[in-house]
Amino acid sequence: MIAPGDDPLPALSPVDGRRIGQAELHDTLAARNLRLTPGDLLTVKVRRSEVPSGSEAYQEFQVPYQKWMRLLDALNWIADNAAADLAFRWFCGSKMCGTCAVRMNGREVLACWEAVEPNMVIEPLRNLPVIRDLVVDRTAYEDRVASLEPWIERREPYAEFPEPLTHKQMKDASNALDCISCMCCYSACPVIGLGNLTDFAGPAPLVQLGQTALDPRNDPEKVRRSLERTGIFNCVSCYKCEEVCPAHIPIVSRVIEPLKAKAAQLVPEMARHSFALRNIVAHRGRVDPGALVLSVQGLRALSNLRRIWRLFVRGKINPIKTLLGMKTDAAAAAGRLLGDETGKP
Amino acid sequence: MRVVTTDVAVIGGGAAGCYAALSLSKRGIKPLIICKGLVGKSGASLFAGNLVISGRALGNSEDNARNTAEFLIKYHNQFLIDQNWARRCGQWIEQVYYPELEEAGLYFRRDDSGEIVTSPGKIRSIAANVQGNSGVPFMDLRRKQVIKAGIARMEETVATSLLQNPDGSVAGVFCLNYITGEYTAVIARAVILATGYSDRLHTRSTGTREMSADGIALAWRAGATLLNMEMQWWHTNDLAHPPSWQRMQIYPNPMLGSEKSARMLNSAGEEFFNQQQDDPLAFGPYTVQLKALVKQVRAGKARYEGGYFAGFDNCDPAEVETYTTYGKTFRQLGLPFPAHMAETAVSSHYRQGGIDVDTATMRSSVPGLYAAGGVGGHSNGLIGLATYDGHVAAEGVARDLATLKQASVPQTLIEAECRRLESLRNSYGNGPAPGRLKEDLRAVMWEKAGVEKNASDLRSALDDIERIRVELMPGMKIRNSGKSANYEWLDAIDVMNMIDVCELVIHSSLERKESRGPFIRTDFPLTDNDNWLAANVLTKSGNGLRFERRPYELPIFAPGFSTKDNLEVAW
Repeated sequence: MIAPGDDPLPALSPVDGRRIGQAELHDTLAARNLRLTPGDLLTVKVRRSEVPSGSEAYQEFQVPYQKWMRLLDALNWIADNAAADLAFRWFCGSKMCGTCAVRMNGREVLACWEAVEPNMVIEPLRNLPVIRDLVVDRTAYEDRVASLEPWIERREPYAEFPEPLTHKQMKDASNALDCISCMCCYSACPVIGLGNLTDFAGPAPLVQLGQTALDPRNDPEKVRRSLERTGIFNCVSCYKCEEVCPAHIPIVSRVIEPLKAKAAQLVPEMARHSFALRNIVAHRGRVDPGALVLSVQGLRALSNLRRIWRLFVRGKINPIKTLLGMKTDAAAAAGRLLGDETGKP
Repeated sequence: MRVVTTDVAVIGGGAAGCYAALSLSKRGIKPLIICKGLVGKSGASLFAGNLVISGRALGNSEDNARNTAEFLIKYHNQFLIDQNWARRCGQWIEQVYYPELEEAGLYFRRDDSGEIVTSPGKIRSIAANVQGNSGVPFMDLRRKQVIKAGIARMEETVATSLLQNPDGSVAGVFCLNYITGEYTAVIARAVILATGYSDRLHTRSTGTREMSADGIALAWRAGATLLNMEMQWWHTNDLAHPPSWQRMQIYPNPMLGSEKSARMLNSAGEEFFNQQQDDPLAFGPYTVQLKALVKQVRAGKARYEGGYFAGFDNCDPAEVETYTTYGKTFRQLGLPFPAHMAETAVSSHYRQGGIDVDTATMRSSVPGLYAAGGVGGHSNGLIGLATYDGHVAAEGVARDLATLKQASVPQTLIEAECRRLESLRNSYGNGPAPGRLKEDLRAVMWEKAGVEKNASDLRSALDDIERIRVELMPGMKIRNSGKSANYEWLDAIDVMNMIDVCELVIHSSLERKESRGPFIRTDFPLTDNDNWLAANVLTKSGNGLRFERRPYELPIFAPGFSTKDNLEVAW
């Protein structure tokens, strides 16, 4: 046992892929906190909606550090002592309700869960309209989740409690069940940041869908209907969502990738691009952008001659190689690895 | 201002409110949920750590079933409970609750071979997905069921008053969406209050931000009878730091898949509580822990604000973390787990008391007003009990609906309420901010109506509250009178409810002249079953209050003694 009351040196979290950068810099929460002692002043710049004319949109506060202080404590201190009209949303204060997410120094965090830093810039989440100060309008997100109908429909009538089910079957869904809809990932997602340019549902709605779509009890027909509305293949697997998830859900690897696999199986036309890419690599041993565009877009790809010319001049495409279907030395290995599937379902 | 008409207004979006609304909707009765937070995302239901196995479900033995009932009646409610209601509730949980939840998709945690993982011991429990976090998937499922059923929701909307007909019966609810600033008068044939167990009425409290005793205050003003308002539960092992983690508990309950549970140490490092050794029947051992702590405080080895410790240093990390979330707090602080014992403190938790209801229908003493879940005074909580209440309230309303008429809009009342809220939004005094007054009230409750109470402190607390009411509240100052997301305005509305309910709690505490379970009077240290195995019933009379005692029937379990030092009583 460690003597009660001692604050031992922080144990560095084991390095895991989602925390690279933070771990290298010894930037764990504890390490950040241990630099501070109670009473030290933190500088907190908060983005405000209404500021006196002429001043910048950020208001600065000096907040005394309290032991094990969370960002939420700093915001509460500001509301109690310096700016009673600061608007920020929170309910549970213990990482359950998922309503207090904001951006701290450019990174999405849960205010109740994240340790303070000596200098902080606090801003509302991105990709959602700001109502006031740090309060965003969740409606677009909630509507998106509801449109995916993230619930179970059974093919067979439910028999009795408990029904046959193993944790192994539920593993991916179980990961997704840790989601508290805080929308950190929704704010961090660069594809959502493109607005209406894609029909991508976004990471959080997909995790919400994954809770039931990855559940073996759900009717595949129901899952198919939901997946059709996700635009899931717009996900570029950049892992930004995993990086910020306060619940440590492996969003890409354990939710989005399994959902993509399901979509490829249940709604193959959604996965045309992926199948085409796989097919080309398997046969040619390389990515051939020309062939990829042709097989996804067909002859439509030829409609923009200027773009084709630009791509050709820059060496991005080589029509001769594409037409001849030339293979690289890696073709045999790629074929072996990816199998000899045609790529067509 | 909008006027909305519905069959039933359900105030509260937790376990009780959601289930009431779902049950009504299934019967073709139109509910509208008014939730101060977000349905399924605010309030106490989210905090459900696990689900206690009721009756003979999941291989429970006859003994297990009896132990669970005994635990509920003794340790959870200190016999201040309608035991017949408890029996009905247990049967419903066994027969309806689990199958319905699983059918809807709730994942009761299995192991790889497909067995549902339980905690061992005299009383067994299971978890939704993971222990310590069961409320999250549970309430998320309820939220989605509500959406799927097409039930109307008004979220981030505070009910500010009950609208009453001239005969006193409830005709609807007035509310404010504090995000948009829009007023709505909801006209309904019945209102179900389901605002929950906990409120933030003490400096340290498990009640969440939005919980300011609104349900109790609204019901009281409408003339409802209350009971046992003094019966306040406490957590003894919530983190002492930081302030926002005052409801982050080191769970003392048995763990899934392990024979061990957390233990508590005093300032000298001596163990003073370990559920598995000290009282295995105390499945949720909060009162037992509290009594152990009181002895430590009196011996100078702990303070209610801290100076004692809790953790899992007696366990293997894998043992704790395979099925529970209990390690997350330590890990987030970068503390060695499970070696580190964290400093803990007391937080006020559930209130056992609340609105007096007929437990067969959940009718309150006011026609048209029903209560479900923690806001009722008939039991103290588990998420299953709150859900059962939602079911009974829906049944009660359905049965009464033919006699409940849709009233016309009581226009003068609506105008008066608009004026009251507008004047709060334009509080331009020179005094403190409303948020400050909330903290002042909490401080009075913490210092003078805390764990250990006595008449002189309680009277002094009443004086302090009177001073806040007379001297500070009229000069309240709001910096920004905007309508949108104005949390200062919300604080000003909250503080009116809090101050009334604090007063009722203190009066009720003065009235119960004994100690019982978590209710500890230093001037009346005995548990007195001869005189106080009774509900402490509180009614409005003229401008004052009237108390009367209503004894409980004891059809199943009885305490078996007349009087005894409360600290020596197991429960």
